[in-house]
Amino acid sequence: MKFKLPSLSTMPAWFGVLVLEVVLLIVMALTQPVFFSGSNLSNIVRSSAIPIVLGIGMTYTILTAGIDLSVGSVLAFSGILLSGIIELMPRYLAVVVTIALVTIIVGGINGTLIGRLGLNSFVVTLGTLGIFRGIAYLVTNGTTRSIDTGPLINKIGDGNVGPIPGPLLVVIVLAGISIYVLRSTYFGRDVYAVGGNEFAAKLAGIYTGRVKMNVYVISAFCAGVAGIMQVGRLSSAAPTAGAGLELTVVAGVLLGGTRLSGGVGSIWGTVIGLLFLQTVSNSLTIQGVSSYWQQVVTGVLLGAAVLFDRIRLELSGRAKSKEKK
Amino acid sequence: MTIKTLTSGVEMRQISKRFDAVQALANVNLELHPGEVHTIAGENGSGKSTLLKILGGVLKPDDGQILVAGEEKEFNSVRDAMRYGVTMVSQELSLVPNLGIAENVFIGHNQSRNKFGIDWKDTDRRALEILKRLNITVDPRREVSTLPQHEQQLVEIARALSFDTRVLLLDEPTSSLAPNEVAALFKVVRQLREDGVAVVLITHRMSEMLEISDRFTVLRDGKFIDTSDRSGVNENWLIDRMVLNKPKESARRNFQSSGRKTVLEVKGLSDRAGAYSDISFEVREGEIVGLAGLAGAGRTELVETLAGVRQRSAGEVFINGNQVGANSRTALKSGIALVPDDRRLKSTIHEMSVRDNLMLSQHKFEITHRSRKSEDKIIKSWIEKFSIKTSGPDAQIKSLSGGNQQKVVIARCLQTNPKILILDEATRGVDLGAKAEIYEILRNLANEGLSILVVSSEIGEIFEISDRILVMHAGELSANLDRSKTSEAEVVAAATGVK
Repeated sequence: MKFKLPSLSTMPAWFGVLVLEVVLLIVMALTQPVFFSGSNLSNIVRSSAIPIVLGIGMTYTILTAGIDLSVGSVLAFSGILLSGIIELMPRYLAVVVTIALVTIIVGGINGTLIGRLGLNSFVVTLGTLGIFRGIAYLVTNGTTRSIDTGPLINKIGDGNVGPIPGPLLVVIVLAGISIYVLRSTYFGRDVYAVGGNEFAAKLAGIYTGRVKMNVYVISAFCAGVAGIMQVGRLSSAAPTAGAGLELTVVAGVLLGGTRLSGGVGSIWGTVIGLLFLQTVSNSLTIQGVSSYWQQVVTGVLLGAAVLFDRIRLELSGRAKSKEKK
Repeated sequence: MTIKTLTSGVEMRQISKRFDAVQALANVNLELHPGEVHTIAGENGSGKSTLLKILGGVLKPDDGQILVAGEEKEFNSVRDAMRYGVTMVSQELSLVPNLGIAENVFIGHNQSRNKFGIDWKDTDRRALEILKRLNITVDPRREVSTLPQHEQQLVEIARALSFDTRVLLLDEPTSSLAPNEVAALFKVVRQLREDGVAVVLITHRMSEMLEISDRFTVLRDGKFIDTSDRSGVNENWLIDRMVLNKPKESARRNFQSSGRKTVLEVKGLSDRAGAYSDISFEVREGEIVGLAGLAGAGRTELVETLAGVRQRSAGEVFINGNQVGANSRTALKSGIALVPDDRRLKSTIHEMSVRDNLMLSQHKFEITHRSRKSEDKIIKSWIEKFSIKTSGPDAQIKSLSGGNQQKVVIARCLQTNPKILILDEATRGVDLGAKAEIYEILRNLANEGLSILVVSSEIGEIFEISDRILVMHAGELSANLDRSKTSEAEVVAAATGVK
């Protein structure tokens, strides 16, 4: 079998981002030797892991033509919740209970309001964004709580499992499961169908409300896990953790080719999109560019990616109509 | 005729347009003279609407020229078209429902201003002037959404008149109007003709086009077929040119209803939103029932309720004597499958493959693994059975032509083993060849014992395929007729509410 480069029309939307990522890596390797040091690369991986975990959940919600803006706040809420119960039980149990409670409470609220009652996801999660951030502040009175994490939580957020960084392992497991679920199960098909054409999905007998409910539960679960990872990384739980992170995550998901209007996208795209954003910000830091510029660059990249996707579709459409003449 | 130079008319030359796999228009010509009513005739899918949308600046042609007063012009947007005096009143009304009438008439242009901003008094006065020309008297501040549909249409026309419109494009303006409303509209059209406006009309009703038109242009399968003055045209002239294969008498089935058991029974069904009320009827085993009526009569709403995607306020539905629940999954399980009226909006999932679209109604516990192998076997058998033209199960549904997409949707429905198959405007936007194939598929299914309910706005289609004809008018069932004992005139009368 011969290897063929994908053509404009058949290549996935994230392919361009992958090419940019490789180019960026090469440029950095040639200009800044410190970039390719083991500790810097592992730093990129570690700092990408939390946005990617949130991005996996976000991908589900955006695929159904929704959005979950609450993930940054829920990450903080999850950490604070862990800090509250960690003294009461063994650590592994505290982790499980925290994730379970976050999934049930946040997923339950977002999922019921959006999936069952049909409310707008933007409005609902904008509300829960405020609520859970507020609760995190109220409970801690605005202070950061330091936590004796122990080996398990440390490994999830920061340490190594054998040779592999723990956060990377979490990403591999969650992304792997999600890739399978979205591609090869009935639920995965239903997620794409609901986002692609909700009426058609409903007519075909899909319980569209239940599908929508489930994606917010999944997103809450991912935010719960990300909260634990954050605690593992910093050995503390802060009510400010993850503030504004939801926007970075949405940017990465969109950069990876998932369409805001739903029905199109992939976990691969999300992983590559967010990894790319993290590589860019890391490169800029190493080059000594101010962090203010990093925000500008992120915005420009997102705009460029969306524009590129539009041009790609336009070109492939034109090529097709020429072919047929 | 063509030698006459068009000093103030509009001419379209060699217009071509393609949508994905479908050549909607191929080298079509159209000449419009001031002060004429010009009908574009053709079957569904012949490219009439596409041609009008190109002239109205809604769509860009792939090829061809548009000449205004003999000069080539670019029609890149609706605004461009308006600048050259061409305004379109489309099938789908494009008013802003929550704004007032006067606001809608002048929206985006020609707004009256004073030093404080918009001068509402003057806006109202000018709107009233135009509305008077159209013989309607309404409060210009009234919200457009509160008007009946035919008056909304007049507001659209008023909007067109607020420009210096020289060419008015009317795409099926009568499809949802009652006879007296049609007469009122035509009065306006005649008046515009006298003012020197060229009116381009699309209508499905033969009698209407013969009544009002001065010239005819016929399209078939996106190609220009013929054009003629009124004097040379009668019904046969039109049919000969519009239809390639006239339905064969022999293709009709001879259906005996006696001794067949009732499969679908609908008792006193009413829509929660009020689109129809108190509907009762039955469909027997192996019977094809046609449901005729005008757009807006409540037919689509009725069948969508049967399929469980629309809510009812009263009534019961039975399949083989068992009551059917009111959501789509239980409707499917009890054996009701619907092929809806709008493929793009309601049935296909555009970004998905043929596989996913065809298997969409197959459900198992959500995180069950989908076996490609066993799916392939099912999909290939449908591709073969319906001769669906696709490069394979994993081709994108949007790469298929309209007719083949429709076959995929029908296959999806049949894969659920329905007791009754409902098709809503199943051949809309499907070319003639595929249309015949779909009719053949339906007849074979009925002969195998499946009950079928066909909703169609084309009387010809209703008569070709049905054993029995139900007619709806304004949300009520107005007739229940045996096809062999009725006439088109009787169906049209029932559909328009004439007693």
